[in-house]
Amino acid sequence: MSQFTGTIDDFGMDTISLAGTLPAKLQAVRSAGFSQIMLSARDLVGHPEGVDAAVQAVRDSGLRVTGFQVLRDFEGLSGQLRDYKIDVAKSMLALCAAVGARVLLVCSSTSTHASSDLDDIARDLRRLAMLAVPQGIKVAFEALSWGRTINEFPQAWDVVCRADAPNLGLGLDSFHTFAMNTPLDELDMIDPQKIFLVQLADFMWNEIRSVEERIDTARHFRVFPGEGVHSQQAADMVLRLDRIGYRGDYSFEVFNDDYQQMPLGRVADRAYRSALWLGETVLKRSVPLPGKMRLKAMG
Amino acid sequence: MNTLLQREGLHASSNPLGMEGIEFIEYATTKPQALGQVLEAMGFHPVARHRSREVLLYRQGDINVIVNAHAPETAGLEGADPSPVIAALALRVRDAAGAYRQVLERGAWAVPTQVAVMELNIPAIHGVGSSRIYFVDRYKEFSIYDVDFVPIPGVDPRPPALGGLHFFGAVQYIGVDRYDDWIEFYAELFGFATLPDEQRFGILPKGHVLRSPCGSFYLQLIEPEPGQLDIDGSEYFSRIGLGTPDVAASVAALRARGVAFSELPATAPGPRGALTLSQLGSVSFELVHNARA
Repeated sequence: MSQFTGTIDDFGMDTISLAGTLPAKLQAVRSAGFSQIMLSARDLVGHPEGVDAAVQAVRDSGLRVTGFQVLRDFEGLSGQLRDYKIDVAKSMLALCAAVGARVLLVCSSTSTHASSDLDDIARDLRRLAMLAVPQGIKVAFEALSWGRTINEFPQAWDVVCRADAPNLGLGLDSFHTFAMNTPLDELDMIDPQKIFLVQLADFMWNEIRSVEERIDTARHFRVFPGEGVHSQQAADMVLRLDRIGYRGDYSFEVFNDDYQQMPLGRVADRAYRSALWLGETVLKRSVPLPGKMRLKAMG
Repeated sequence: MNTLLQREGLHASSNPLGMEGIEFIEYATTKPQALGQVLEAMGFHPVARHRSREVLLYRQGDINVIVNAHAPETAGLEGADPSPVIAALALRVRDAAGAYRQVLERGAWAVPTQVAVMELNIPAIHGVGSSRIYFVDRYKEFSIYDVDFVPIPGVDPRPPALGGLHFFGAVQYIGVDRYDDWIEFYAELFGFATLPDEQRFGILPKGHVLRSPCGSFYLQLIEPEPGQLDIDGSEYFSRIGLGTPDVAASVAALRARGVAFSELPATAPGPRGALTLSQLGSVSFELVHNARA
């Protein structure tokens, strides 16, 4: 029954867009025609039969795991708070490895207890990256638009460069980029090999007036790319990423209260339309390109 | 002054843990006797037995090999593939507690130790795959074996090495695109340095070779060959390398003890080294020409 997905194999859904149980989400995403899914730690630990059963369900689904989310408020801490967060990070990494995810998403800290010193932040991210090496996990650091110190991707890129660890890179999120009006020209400064994940979402209004409204919009009113008022910017962002040489995954991170009240299949179909729009209309892929096959490059 | 400080800094950071080689290599296996036979053919002798666990210490010269058949460590090894695995490398360091603190600060992952069972609390961190890296600072006046092990009666506790064999290094197989990660890991936590590509030892000059900060042993990292299937992406220590001043003499001596060597064109014994045929599905040794570190 598998559908032809050659032009959108690098697009995936995120479980946070769907209501229901993990098996129902996996089924809906697969049935819609996607080959990958972004998972949250909650999906695994909240499974009624436990983490092992959740991991098995993911493996049985045949879906590739785009990445695993999300470690919050990690960097810049000290003392016991820092030790506590290291423990949380280890738990996330262990789950991430168990479910076969190769990318852990880390959001920039919102904590007022955290240092704003960029070198402190970089040191902690480097430490996290080293912690992740034996597990074979890459750490994608994302600028949350309401992050205390890091709230735009150029700042996140700065600390990723300062930390200078091979398995530490950038997580880009279109929502936060559009919400902060971060110039997309800044993408040209980034090494595409160090972008470990791109999350795409749009929203329905042009202006966000306060931090509170930004948080509220981010958590409840996102829509799939092409459904909101930033379609042109979303298309522009994907085209720019393609042009600088980004060949990694795109995940739809769409938090939306309405989608939580819709049958899973309908939401997944909306996501699929969005993927087709990006793959075919925006990126103009008409046939599966040989270069898009997931074979290891030589040399 | 400035130059002096820089030199001092460089010196201090080049061996941050005060590393002084390898104290032991540990195999985990459900078939300790079969592995013991393989080790004895390679010139090792059983010299001591753990006080409370099914663990034996084999030795030749200054190479210590621990064979661990204690149930908790071998729990995952039963079933389809009972092949022994290299479960740990123990590093000699100036101060084990200090080294442990230092690597944790840099992002090492602590492994809880079982003090109730092991008489000595040897600090450990996660290494490649399911392996561990231990830190040992008791290797001069008295050793960890004096505490945890009972000598096997009537056996020379310090059997000489066969033809000058000594520990040379370990070969670690890694996943695709993982060189940078592991090179950074070993450099950041321990101070390993990557050798230039033209500097290679032995007969298998693949991958990248890292020199320990003490200069006494090497780790060789090997990714899958391009085109080679790497389905599960598993990473592990594949084998240990033994240095010998005379490869041909060592090969002859080991052959006389029943050890078989690879005769494939690429890996046949030569002046630079040799590779023993794999035993028990996973255990092989690489001989490397090396006068003595």
